[in-house]
Amino acid sequence: MSGVPAFFAEYQDRVHAELRHLLREDGEEVERAMAYTTLAPSKQVRAVLALLCAELCRGQAERAVPAAAAIEMVHAASLILDDLPSMDDAPLRRGRRANHLAFGEAVAILAAFGLLNLAYGEIARAYEPAVASRITGLLSDAVGPAGLIGGQALDLRAVDQQISFETLERIHRGKTGALFVAAAAAGAITAGAAAEPVAALAAYAKNLGLAFQIIDDLLDVAGDPALTGKVVRADARKTTFVSFSGVDGARQLAAELCQTADRSLAPFGARADRLRELSAFVAARRL
Amino acid sequence: MITPPDPRIDDLRQRLRSLGYLEAGVDRFVLSGAAHTGGPLAFAARASARVGLLGGALLGPAGALGLGARLPGLVSGPRDAAVLSIYLAVFFFVAVSAAAFAAGAIAASVAPRADGRFAARARRLSSAAGILAAACLGYLTLWWRNANAGFGWSAPVWTAFALLVAVTISLLLGHAVRIATLGVLATSAGPSAAIPPVTSLSWPLSIGIGLFAFAGAAVLLIISAPSASGAAPPALTVVSTGTRVRLIALDGFDMASYLNSEQGASRFSSAMHGAALLHVQDTGDPARAWTTVATGVPPERHGVRGIQARRVAGVRGILSRGSGDMAELLGAATDVLRLTRPGLTSREERRVKTFWEAASAAGLRTAVVNWWATWPAAGSAIVVSDRAMVRLERGGALDAEIAPASLYEDLRRAWPAIRQRAEKTAAEAFPYVGDARMRAALQRSAALDVTVLEILRALPGPPRDLDVVYLPGLDIAQHALLASDAPGSPAASALTARIAAIGAYYEFLQQLVEPLLAEGGDVMTIVLTQPGRVATPTDGHLAALGSPGQPAPRATGSALDVAPTLLYALGMPLSRELPGAPLQDLFTSPFVQRHAARYVSTYGAPANGPAAREGKPLDQEMIDRLRSLGYVK
Repeated sequence: MSGVPAFFAEYQDRVHAELRHLLREDGEEVERAMAYTTLAPSKQVRAVLALLCAELCRGQAERAVPAAAAIEMVHAASLILDDLPSMDDAPLRRGRRANHLAFGEAVAILAAFGLLNLAYGEIARAYEPAVASRITGLLSDAVGPAGLIGGQALDLRAVDQQISFETLERIHRGKTGALFVAAAAAGAITAGAAAEPVAALAAYAKNLGLAFQIIDDLLDVAGDPALTGKVVRADARKTTFVSFSGVDGARQLAAELCQTADRSLAPFGARADRLRELSAFVAARRL
Repeated sequence: MITPPDPRIDDLRQRLRSLGYLEAGVDRFVLSGAAHTGGPLAFAARASARVGLLGGALLGPAGALGLGARLPGLVSGPRDAAVLSIYLAVFFFVAVSAAAFAAGAIAASVAPRADGRFAARARRLSSAAGILAAACLGYLTLWWRNANAGFGWSAPVWTAFALLVAVTISLLLGHAVRIATLGVLATSAGPSAAIPPVTSLSWPLSIGIGLFAFAGAAVLLIISAPSASGAAPPALTVVSTGTRVRLIALDGFDMASYLNSEQGASRFSSAMHGAALLHVQDTGDPARAWTTVATGVPPERHGVRGIQARRVAGVRGILSRGSGDMAELLGAATDVLRLTRPGLTSREERRVKTFWEAASAAGLRTAVVNWWATWPAAGSAIVVSDRAMVRLERGGALDAEIAPASLYEDLRRAWPAIRQRAEKTAAEAFPYVGDARMRAALQRSAALDVTVLEILRALPGPPRDLDVVYLPGLDIAQHALLASDAPGSPAASALTARIAAIGAYYEFLQQLVEPLLAEGGDVMTIVLTQPGRVATPTDGHLAALGSPGQPAPRATGSALDVAPTLLYALGMPLSRELPGAPLQDLFTSPFVQRHAARYVSTYGAPANGPAAREGKPLDQEMIDRLRSLGYVK
């Protein structure tokens, strides 16, 4: 399987509609910059994960859409910052020129901060205080020093250096895993799920997130830019998972992580089949 | 072609595990049933029920094995073991569930809600639990060595094995309780709490550990079960004395009363005058006392503690009260739950061979009639058990009342004649007892004694080396006439009349037994008396008539000497496990000189061969009968 599962479209449309409602492609430059990266064609795996988890916990996907959109905006903000010259200096993102190349570095930075704030505001407005508080707490953890920011900081220091496997894991956990876990937990929380299913879905997302990142590393080595929308070998100066395990080993461990993720879904039975499809997609993805 | 494993991948896999990956993060067995449950207490209840199921499935069968090994008579077959397993599984399910629920509820109430010390407190709780577990294991070690000190299983290797099994069970259940508790903590603290990592324990691993623990417990319990001797019994060689022995056991015999009612010279009279004295006898319970006589060992060793026992619903075996703390505890628990009903003691409780079983095992032909605790009868030797008369009265398929089973039809055919003779003899026996109620009581006892002796006479086959018969009539009559629950004392005249009636029974008994004593030839008749159910313990007597017996009025012994005396007369080697010794004064000097006592280390454990149990058990009928005779209240 190389394409996203068929059911993705239904969820992507809902999230995309919400994002289009929140973002203005015809607004001021900074607003256009915000919409430019966020509304660019993408898989929206994190947002779909949030909606699936909400449904799995017997909630309404519609209720989880604001949370999913917020997570997608946080993710877009992280991509904008990640591509900056002072960071990864990437020219291509989601099949388009990187945000800072399209709007300038200053606007790109502002767009990223704008997306972050819009995400928190979206959650605050969409949910009752108790739920909003829990989800913003999750997002704060996912973005902060233990999440995206911490992972990115470590990643920057790792360029042209041999890093340990544990450091690489911390980078991946921060840059990818944290938002996967937050997406799954946020979706379940919007459905009013108890702690145990939330914990099971968090375990699913944690393993899936690392598998996703390992496959990312693989695609960086041998992917098709036309499919991935990114420059191949962009991470050549970095230590990646492939550095430790080789291509075949990385694919094997990614598959095992996806299998482990599936085991976390045991309590949910057949109702979790779409999440199993998602993990199967991650294990086999080519884009 | 098989690709060799890549060590790099294995290393990375391990490192990923240490970082919390490749773990499903959910114990499917313990927690899956609690998914979608709101609130910590509801979560604790559902998760605890799963843990309880694990505890019940594991400890129920192991507990049944243990009880079966420690309480002889309770488990009479696989069906009993299965029923007991179910009872204990339910018990352990409730107990373990309650413990797991309590652990979860306490943890949920103690742990702060969603503050930063959540994980630290959880770790402290785990540490405290670990210390407690270590202390428990220390205690278990000491207990094991103490409890098995007499059975040779306190050696370090077995103690270590026992501890290994205990640790395995503890870890399995402890792990399950821990998972449930952490789940409860997480439910009450919210998803932002830093929950300590929970190792995934999948079904196959749980089952594997459980099977190991169960198998280990089973091996330990079976191997460490108390037994009379671990050694295989040696072959028993009989050096024939040329003597056949007949034992007539009279219950309720009081020498002073007999002498007061003595009616002239007779063989019985001369036997009683020349009887050896058996010092103070057990008068608390006839089943216990007569089993002591039959086995030659005290009740602590033979295991029969009393007539009354408890029968656990659905279990064919019985639970004998008074046979230790475990039996008392189990009996009290099942009584509270209304799971028990009255039962009677049985052969299955007995842990030591009787003298007739030892003789039969040595190849001698034996028969026993109406002795206590002989049901269910099994084996090829003749046993007309204490339930046989009820079966012969009621008919129907045999429920091991008589062995061998083929004997049942012979006795069924003879039964009408036996009863007719018994009733006729009893009806004619007491013409001078004026009080109708007293006469009826005497006649009832007389009919019983006559029936027992008639059964003995009706036994087919060649002459036997050993006949044993128990006559309860005197004790029953005495109990019916003298025992009273009414307040106050009976009038002196009434008491005199009752004593006179008992004197009449002594006279009847003497006449009843006299023909047996007249048999000469190679038969030596031994008369054994016990005081019966009396408030003040008194002495018993043992008399020998016929060659090579002789009067021994100055000889003394105890109930423990009866079995060695009888076995000695038969030329059997004596087990060194018997605390008593043969009363050689009851034998002529030439006999004693010719036949020195020989010894073997043991007679071995009683054989528990299959009994012919096809008919409806007569438990209730026996209880009613014994109640009407004053044995059961």
